[in-house]
Parts: sequence; C-alpha cells; structure tokens
Amino acid sequence: MSDQVAVASLPRARFSAALAVEAAKLRRSLALLLALVAPSLVAVFVFFNLLRVDKAQPWAVTLQTSAAIWAFFMLPMSVTALTALVASTEHGPRAWDHLRALPVPRWHLYAAKIIGVLTVVAGMSLALGLLTVGAIQLAAWLKPAIAPIGEPGLVEHAVLLLHIFAAAWLLVGLQLWIALRYSSFVPALAVGIGGTFFAVVATSARIGAVLPWQIPVNQLAADPDRANLALALGGIGGVLLMMVMLRSLSRREVV
Amino acid sequence: MPPALQTIGLTRRFGNRTAVNEVSLTVPARSVYGFLGRNGAGKTTTLKLLLGLLRPDAGSAWIDGIDVGRDRLAAARRVGALLEAHGFYGHLSGRENLDLSRRLLRLPVAEIDRVLDITGLTPHGRRRVADYSLGMRQRLGLARAMLGAPPVLLLDEPTNGLDPEGIADMRHFLRELPERSGATVLVSSHLLGEIEQTATHIGILSHGRLVLEGELASLTAGLATTVCVETDQPELAANIAREHGFEVDRGEPALIARFAPGEDERRAAAALNRVLCAADIAVHALAPQKLSLEALYQSAAGMESAHV
Repeated sequence: MSDQVAVASLPRARFSAALAVEAAKLRRSLALLLALVAPSLVAVFVFFNLLRVDKAQPWAVTLQTSAAIWAFFMLPMSVTALTALVASTEHGPRAWDHLRALPVPRWHLYAAKIIGVLTVVAGMSLALGLLTVGAIQLAAWLKPAIAPIGEPGLVEHAVLLLHIFAAAWLLVGLQLWIALRYSSFVPALAVGIGGTFFAVVATSARIGAVLPWQIPVNQLAADPDRANLALALGGIGGVLLMMVMLRSLSRREVV
Repeated sequence: MPPALQTIGLTRRFGNRTAVNEVSLTVPARSVYGFLGRNGAGKTTTLKLLLGLLRPDAGSAWIDGIDVGRDRLAAARRVGALLEAHGFYGHLSGRENLDLSRRLLRLPVAEIDRVLDITGLTPHGRRRVADYSLGMRQRLGLARAMLGAPPVLLLDEPTNGLDPEGIADMRHFLRELPERSGATVLVSSHLLGEIEQTATHIGILSHGRLVLEGELASLTAGLATTVCVETDQPELAANIAREHGFEVDRGEPALIARFAPGEDERRAAAALNRVLCAADIAVHALAPQKLSLEALYQSAAGMESAHV
C-alpha cells in the first residue's frame, strides 16, 4: 500500500469534530457511571426515607427533599469528581502536547470539555428527577399508606432542577478550570471538597448566595431575590468565567 | 522552494536557564535531518517551539515557509509529530486512538488502515494500547504522526524502547520515507550510530546552541582520514613514518596514521607501506578507519563545551 494520499494539506478544523471526539472519550470513560450513580444515591435515600415514615407527604415535599440533597451536597461533589475525571483523561496519558500540536484551535478542545461536562451534569439532573419520581412511586406501591398527596407538580420540579443546573455553571467552570490547569487531581479535589464542606457547615450564611458551591442550593431559598441573585451569579458568572478560562488555557504553555 | 523547516535565532529561556540559544537551523525539503545532542541539550524544547507548543523569547520558527508564531494552525497542517509523551488512551485500542486524531483532523476513515499498514500494526490495531509494548506504542505514535501524510515529520527519539529488530525497521523506514512520500523528516536522537545510518543532514545541539549543521556526506568528507597500521616494531615504524612526513600516533596495539582531508587515502596508505617495507619493517595490517559521525560530534560538542 502506498503511503501517499491525495491531500497536500490537512482540512480546516471544525468545532463539531472536537465535540464528537470529546463525546467518544466520555462514552468510554467512567463519567457515565458517575452520572448514573450520583443521582441514584439520592433516589435510593428518598426511597428508604419514605419507607421509614408512616404518614403520607405531599409530592412537593419529597421532590424538594431530593432536589435539596442534590443541590446541597451531591451536585458540588459530583461536579468535583466529574471535572477531575474529565481532565485526567488528558493529564493521565500526558495527551496535551499531542492535542495542542494538532491543527485545531485550542479553544475547541477546552470548549468541547466544557460542553461535555455540562451535558453530563444536565443528564444527571434529568436522571435525578426521573429516579426520584420512580423511587416515590415504588415506595408508594410497596407501602400504600405513604402514597404522596396531591399533584406531582412535575413541571415545577423540572424548572427547579433546571434552575439548579443553570446556577451550577459557575461551580462547573471553576472546578473544570482548576482540574485542567493542574496535572495533579489534588488541587481540584481539595478545592471541591473544601467548597462543599463550607457550603454544608454554613448553609444559611449570607455569603452563600455568592459561594459557587452554595449557589445551586440557593434556588430553594424562600426569598426569591436571593434565589434570583444566585441564579444570575451562577449562570451569567459561569458563562463569563468559562470564556476567561478558554482564553487563559488556550494561551497557556503546557511545559 | 522554501526549506521544510527553518529557525532563525530561536531562543527560549526557562527562568535563568537558556534552553535554546539563538538556534538557526535549516532542514532542506525531502531530507532526513538528524538532530543530535545529549539529553538536556535542548532538542525537545526546539521541537516544541517548532510545533508552537512553546513561545520563543526571541527568533522565529518556520514550517514549509509558514511562520509558526504568526499562523500556528497553517503550520500545524503541514507537520506530523511523534513526541516523547505519546498521550495515548490506554483503555482504547490502537485503532480507536488513531480514530480520535483522525476525526479532529477531518480525514477519511481509510487513513487509519493506511498508517497501520505502513507501520506494521494492522494485526494489533484492535488491541488495547495498555497491552502494547513500548516499541508498539512508538510505532503507533509514528502512525498517528503520518495521518494525512503531512509533508514534514518531527520525530522525537523514535527508536526509544525499540528492540534491535525494531530499530533496524525504523532505520529502513526513515531512510525510505523521503523517496516514498516526498516527506521531510527531522529525527532527534542521542544515538549517533542510528543517525549516521539514517540521516542525509545533521544538526548538533550542545548546551542549547547549534554547533554544527550540514550535509552529512560533506561534513565527514572534511574530516582527516585515518589508517590503522599493525606491525611488530611499532615504535621504530612510528619514527620512520614521521621522518618521511607522515602524521602518526601510537595506538594500542597499532599505529594510527592521519591523512589530510581530501588526500587520496589509498595512495597515501600505499606510500606509507612502501616506506615501512623499505625500512625492513614487517607490516601485517593496513586498515582504513571508517569516518564516523562520532568524531564530528565529539569535535563540535567538545569545542562548544570548551566555550561554556
């Protein structure tokens, strides 16, 4: 076979190619397992917690409990683990030199990672909603006395999960930036665990509305202004942070 | 036609240390350029500068006439690289690893079969890279560098980890590459013997400086040729040879006669033999010494070391 091909120069890169490659890497990584396990744990808790009580509760209460556990602890911890995992795909085999030497704009590589992580987190949020509803119905089937009261209010719950997801963009951007910036997973894990710790021990702190790890749970705040501020900070702040991150990582030398 | 690769005054510092110091190299198109230097001489840094992975503190790097600093993407479309850190995903097969790069480069699927075939990895393409030997990874890296048949290949220590048979295959492959595909190959190595058998041109880097560059044949032609003389009276033979104007050193156990660069080595050896025989000295071996790249390297790197 000849090693001559018709092309004299390689074609121009397309962002869709970087996205497809990132999706292929994600499909063959443990990210999808994490995406399934994290919301499942919340649903399992909801299921056994319902079996523990004897009195029926409204749908909204149980769904909010699930969303609160998710936003409060499981989401920041999952984002910490997921971003570290996604970054280690390249750090582990020292793939950055190869990727960054390719005739592909470097921001394509990093933006594909952002979209990949956000897609997985969106999938986790969807899975949380579906698994929680499934857990409630299974518990009600096993123990009819605790069958939830009233209308499920699934649309409102979906909107709440969507807000939590949007508010988490600042958290995703920050954790992903640290994970991509340092080849060791330790800084990203330390920051993620530390941030989640303070979010848990200082839940009602005023600063919580601006703390990236606590912004998502603020979507459950009784004060709508606080929830809206947190959503704006998390969503718009996340987009801005990701843009700065793309510029910084693309220009940075990996020595 | 511009040189396939060129650097002009390329300089890169890391803190106080100058890793690459005003390197101006020229790699002619369709040549196999041996980029020599000991570990830490600055070879990998130079390659990273050529690939746009590092930014120079001064100077410029050009690939196929394209300034890497001004248009990295256009320059990168003309080059394939095998780097020290392969960056393969161990849980994926060789074929899947190549496919990821192929998709980023927007090449047809048939490219994978082509490069696997060239590097002899077709039977192993579906095995996980984690199960590959170091030599197989090296060949997979070469296959990936050749995706899209770029006109310039940069290979950083391509024989690392290869067994003797693999080294011989790589040597054969590199020697034939310019003729088969029209590609220009820059091979960085610290193995002089390998480069000597492969390269048409060489550049020697020492302490970050390019201390010698040129066509290998021309450079070795400029060296003094030597002949090893074996006799049972070496001391007397050395004195008589010197009396007749020959430059002779005492080696162990033979004498080493040096002839001026360009001098006809056969004619000079015959004249020396005549002188010794006329003095009734029994000569039992008269063997021309092969001109080696090592002599060039030692001479160039040694001179640079003396200046550092």
